[in-house]
Amino acid sequence: MDFQVIGKVLPRKDGIAKVCGQETYPSDVVVPHMLYGVTLRSPYPHAEILRVDTSAAEAMGAVCVTPDDVPEVIYNERTVSIPEKTYCDRRVLPRRARHVGEAIVAVAAETEEIAFKAMQAIKVEYKVLPPVLDLERAMAPGAPALYEEIYLGDQKIAVENNVACERIITVGDPEGAFARADYIVEREYELPRVYHHQMETKTAVCRPEPNGGITVWATTQTIHNVRQLLGRIFSLPLSKVNVKKLAIGGSFGSSIQMNSIIPICVALALKAKRPVKMATSREDDVYDHTKFPARIRLKVGVKKDGTIVAADMRALVDIGAHQINSYPLLGCMAGWYASLYKWGDFRYEGRAVYTNKVPACAMQGYGNPQVNFAVESHMDLIATECGFDPVKFRLKNYVGVGDEFWGQGPTVKSIIKSCGVEEMLQKGAEMIGWGQRRPPREKTGRYRRGIGMARGFHTSGTGGPKPGEVIDYSSATIKINEDGTVDVMTPVMDLGGGTGEAAVKVAAEVLKVPYERVELSRVDTKTTGYDVCTHATRGVYCGCGAVYHVAQQVKQKLFEYAGRILEENPGDLELAYAAEKGVTIIHAKGFKQKQITIGEVARLAQIYSWGTIAATDSLRQKNCPPCFVAHFVEVEVDTWTGIVRVPRAILLSDSGTPINPDMVAGQLIGSLSRGLGYALYEETEYDLESGKLKCNGFITDNKIPTVCEMPRLADIQVYFAHTYEPTGPFGAKGIGEAALNSVASALNNAIYNAIGIRFYRTPITPERVLAALEGGDRDGN
Amino acid sequence: MERQWVKLKVNGKERQLFIKPNELLLNVLRDELGLMGAKYGCGLGECAACTVLVNGQPMLACLILAVTMEGQEITTVEGMGDYDRLHPLQQSFLDHGAVQCGFCTPGMLLTAQALLAENPDPSEEEIRDYLRGNLCRCTGYAAIVRAVKEVKHPA
Amino acid sequence: MATDTRVLAAEFQYLEAHSLDEALAWLGQYGTRARVLAGGTDLLVKMKTGQVQPEYIIYIKKVAGLDYIQADEAGLRIGATTTLRKLEGCAAVKTGYSALYEAVRSMAATAIRNMGTIGGNLGNASPAADTAPPLLVYGATLKLASQAGTRLVPVEEFFLGPGKTCLAPEELLTEISLPPQGSESGSSFLKLGRVAADIAKINVAVSLQRSGRNCTACRIAFGSVAPTPIRVPEAEALLAGQEITEDLIETAAQAGAAAIKPISDNRSTREYRLKVSRVMLAEALRAAWQRAGGVL
Repeated sequence: MDFQVIGKVLPRKDGIAKVCGQETYPSDVVVPHMLYGVTLRSPYPHAEILRVDTSAAEAMGAVCVTPDDVPEVIYNERTVSIPEKTYCDRRVLPRRARHVGEAIVAVAAETEEIAFKAMQAIKVEYKVLPPVLDLERAMAPGAPALYEEIYLGDQKIAVENNVACERIITVGDPEGAFARADYIVEREYELPRVYHHQMETKTAVCRPEPNGGITVWATTQTIHNVRQLLGRIFSLPLSKVNVKKLAIGGSFGSSIQMNSIIPICVALALKAKRPVKMATSREDDVYDHTKFPARIRLKVGVKKDGTIVAADMRALVDIGAHQINSYPLLGCMAGWYASLYKWGDFRYEGRAVYTNKVPACAMQGYGNPQVNFAVESHMDLIATECGFDPVKFRLKNYVGVGDEFWGQGPTVKSIIKSCGVEEMLQKGAEMIGWGQRRPPREKTGRYRRGIGMARGFHTSGTGGPKPGEVIDYSSATIKINEDGTVDVMTPVMDLGGGTGEAAVKVAAEVLKVPYERVELSRVDTKTTGYDVCTHATRGVYCGCGAVYHVAQQVKQKLFEYAGRILEENPGDLELAYAAEKGVTIIHAKGFKQKQITIGEVARLAQIYSWGTIAATDSLRQKNCPPCFVAHFVEVEVDTWTGIVRVPRAILLSDSGTPINPDMVAGQLIGSLSRGLGYALYEETEYDLESGKLKCNGFITDNKIPTVCEMPRLADIQVYFAHTYEPTGPFGAKGIGEAALNSVASALNNAIYNAIGIRFYRTPITPERVLAALEGGDRDGN
Repeated sequence: MERQWVKLKVNGKERQLFIKPNELLLNVLRDELGLMGAKYGCGLGECAACTVLVNGQPMLACLILAVTMEGQEITTVEGMGDYDRLHPLQQSFLDHGAVQCGFCTPGMLLTAQALLAENPDPSEEEIRDYLRGNLCRCTGYAAIVRAVKEVKHPA
Repeated sequence: MATDTRVLAAEFQYLEAHSLDEALAWLGQYGTRARVLAGGTDLLVKMKTGQVQPEYIIYIKKVAGLDYIQADEAGLRIGATTTLRKLEGCAAVKTGYSALYEAVRSMAATAIRNMGTIGGNLGNASPAADTAPPLLVYGATLKLASQAGTRLVPVEEFFLGPGKTCLAPEELLTEISLPPQGSESGSSFLKLGRVAADIAKINVAVSLQRSGRNCTACRIAFGSVAPTPIRVPEAEALLAGQEITEDLIETAAQAGAAAIKPISDNRSTREYRLKVSRVMLAEALRAAWQRAGGVL
């Protein structure tokens, strides 16, 4: 398709501010007369707070908020799911600490230094309780309980054996189907806790307003959900709660929920009656959130011809001390599994378990990288054991056009209408030289190279023909200014991936206006309609879907006014970009001479007092189309040191029409580095005696890949499948999370191809590789 | 703690600061001078988000006592260029899509600027080596390396 | 948590020394209550994480005459506040002291090497300090100054344990001197980290002298395998005076690996360190031998 701006590489709208150090992130917000807040955090994994003595801190001029000072509201930080499917177990400050690093008391003072010193002067009397730090032990009879009861929506429910929630799904008759299988392959996979490591630590600034309300600047992926939740917790009318949309210094899912420090900051500000800023230290941030770990047992039954007939997945997730989004996670994991291959008859059982660890939340892929690692490693394993070609085996069984896709677990489904899987697998195989791939037994010597592949997908949003358990819609306001330039107001957060540019491009394309004449407005919750959250890879498909929808309404209004001026029926008018003059014109269909620029229409509309040409509306997408990816990678294993290098990576994506091609490539390459980290380097390990993180919260001992761990520029190739999503804005789907989902799996498969050892647990560290090589096992761990 | 006067040059301008010895250069730049380009990332010298140039050399403002900077010349990203007169590296970062969330960008830019001052035409390997301590979680670094490699030097 | 790395909340008196005498006088006066600040990359980290709480900080980067590299027939003399990057950029280090050059090159971020000093890296006495193994194999001598005068200490006697050195509270490390390296000598340094900018899981340095096909003298030192950087005389003895062959290198590497007693920590495991120490030592030996003009 021939587009004016869609698919063109254009400078980011926030680019100049970012390269000049002028972009305002939450940590850059300064409000006159503000105090600085810090938190006192529990040194124990499990302890009752018996008494808090803040007198010494107050004597230093500090304002303190203790568990007794916060509202008695039990909530869940994440409000993306409908209320009756939301498990609630936390207060602003708890009376019982359930993990090391949980904030117990908050302190604000004139400087951060004073606040920190005042915090150190606070005395807390704890009753130390026995912790549960191990998944199995947590579920064993007689294990210490983290909770006696929690809430599901408004309903009080009991917690047994620390099981936070569970989901069991059976499709067809898996037992019967297994009995018909020629081969049955079963393994267990284990994925670790990983820290998001977003570059900016979580920050909140709250200013109490003279009307009794609050203004909040905070790290978040959802300004509207933060607003609603703050209104509920602090009993404030929403008209008096305003949350500002700001840039965010990376997120990767860590701020899908309202961050725990936001209500703490609000409580401090309301008590102090002054603005308060709380910027988390890195060590506090590491103790605040983590990726969901998973232990996944997978059993698959296959016929001799490579047809899969049955599958069974059991997932255990150690969610830590609070439920943020474990119930929807269990559903999504079921969906990621159900939608990868046509399993025939299958079963899924997911269980989330409380432990006294940092609460887990979404991190790019939301259970998908975990499930993908298990399934795609397993597919490779089956191919090896049963003598199938891994690529052909996948092509025989994948879920594609016309099939049902579970975009958000069992309740949000739609039919796939665009799919580039076949194109990507064929192209990727060709690009990497799949035909020349040799089996591991033919490889000798110290350095052994291997080629591996894996494929994956993610949903684009959580829409569907029927509303499910997840809320999904977005809003936009578009306004033609009096000179014909355009203002776009969208509540959708841009996490760095370029959603903002996409919104501008979509508006520009609909209105045939040059990119330079469209700008994003600085907005907040008072000036925008609702958007649920930038999560689930929905920014472009859903957020920009709303922009598309509203831009069409603005276009109609333009036609209406232009019709009055040109004395034509609005329905007989057309928009066009006159490139030679650099202006957008409205002309009579088939009669270009009868024309007027949109600038002139807007100007006259003002002079004639017709009103502003603008529209505001919301849109819910009725589909959740999968964006597909495939990864073909080459690794080199040093069999003497166990070090794995990645000399080459081919990253393929099907995101429909790539609205920002450079940013799609950026997502794919960025995900390669995060996937490298997930596969080879990262894990936040615990000391099981003290319940503390072994890294103590310091990134000194929590390494992520540097530039040197990446393949060289020429050795990273990106390929976009040629697809068009009929339900997306200009044919677009998402890409964000998909880009990561099969990276670690492809690396694992390539490592197998290099050394003939398959790993069932990440990170595949040099220590583990060497131990496996020396052990002579075919299974790494 | 007693405050003391410290005189230094920041982005070409003489500044006098009345500060306590335990104040970090990073916080002084941000809180006293309002220069928000240098970012707090880890506070322990592990991420380089707080990189500034001290007499042209990249250093980490989170581990520098501001009092030790008496008489020194500091450059922050705000000193590199303006929106209407970008430094060639800033332009190159925009042209190559080297910015996503942008939080590591100031540190990357300043480190790259120091590299180019030492070595105007670095190889890819030299760029990787020089930037290896600057963490970025968004981009996977490739666009950043390309932006540095393909920077258009002013004629 | 018990820390806040966004600020330095600790209070202290800041003393800026402009001469060595001034610095030594303060050190003499305040002793263990004082800490010397140069690059700050270790001291500020330790203060922020609550490992040290000095009452006085003596800043020595403005002391004239501590920042120099002097190369002549007597060898190499390095002032204690010389930055790691300055060492890296020094031709005499690069050509004459390969192990030291490679060690410095391998360290941390560019910015950290612009700040950190060689004196600081030694004084911090991390078992993983990258400059230590090279200095051990070169037989470096450290000059320790106090108001009472100066004393020279072989680097081997300097490290006493993690974070512990033989520096008396009133003493300052002022100079590191390395003996000249003959034309038939060669040295090398290798390190494994978790990622490119990291402290070592394990590091190793080798320095040897060649005469024809024989190695006349050899020193080997490992870091991050014991409470201090250590020499491994067991392996050195196998090489000294011997004709160097691949087999002998392997034998020596095995002896070296057998002599170390590493632990498991956040960066790696005991088992891994034991296994790769052999590989690394063999590689380091080969590189040093070839640099000495030896053939294999």
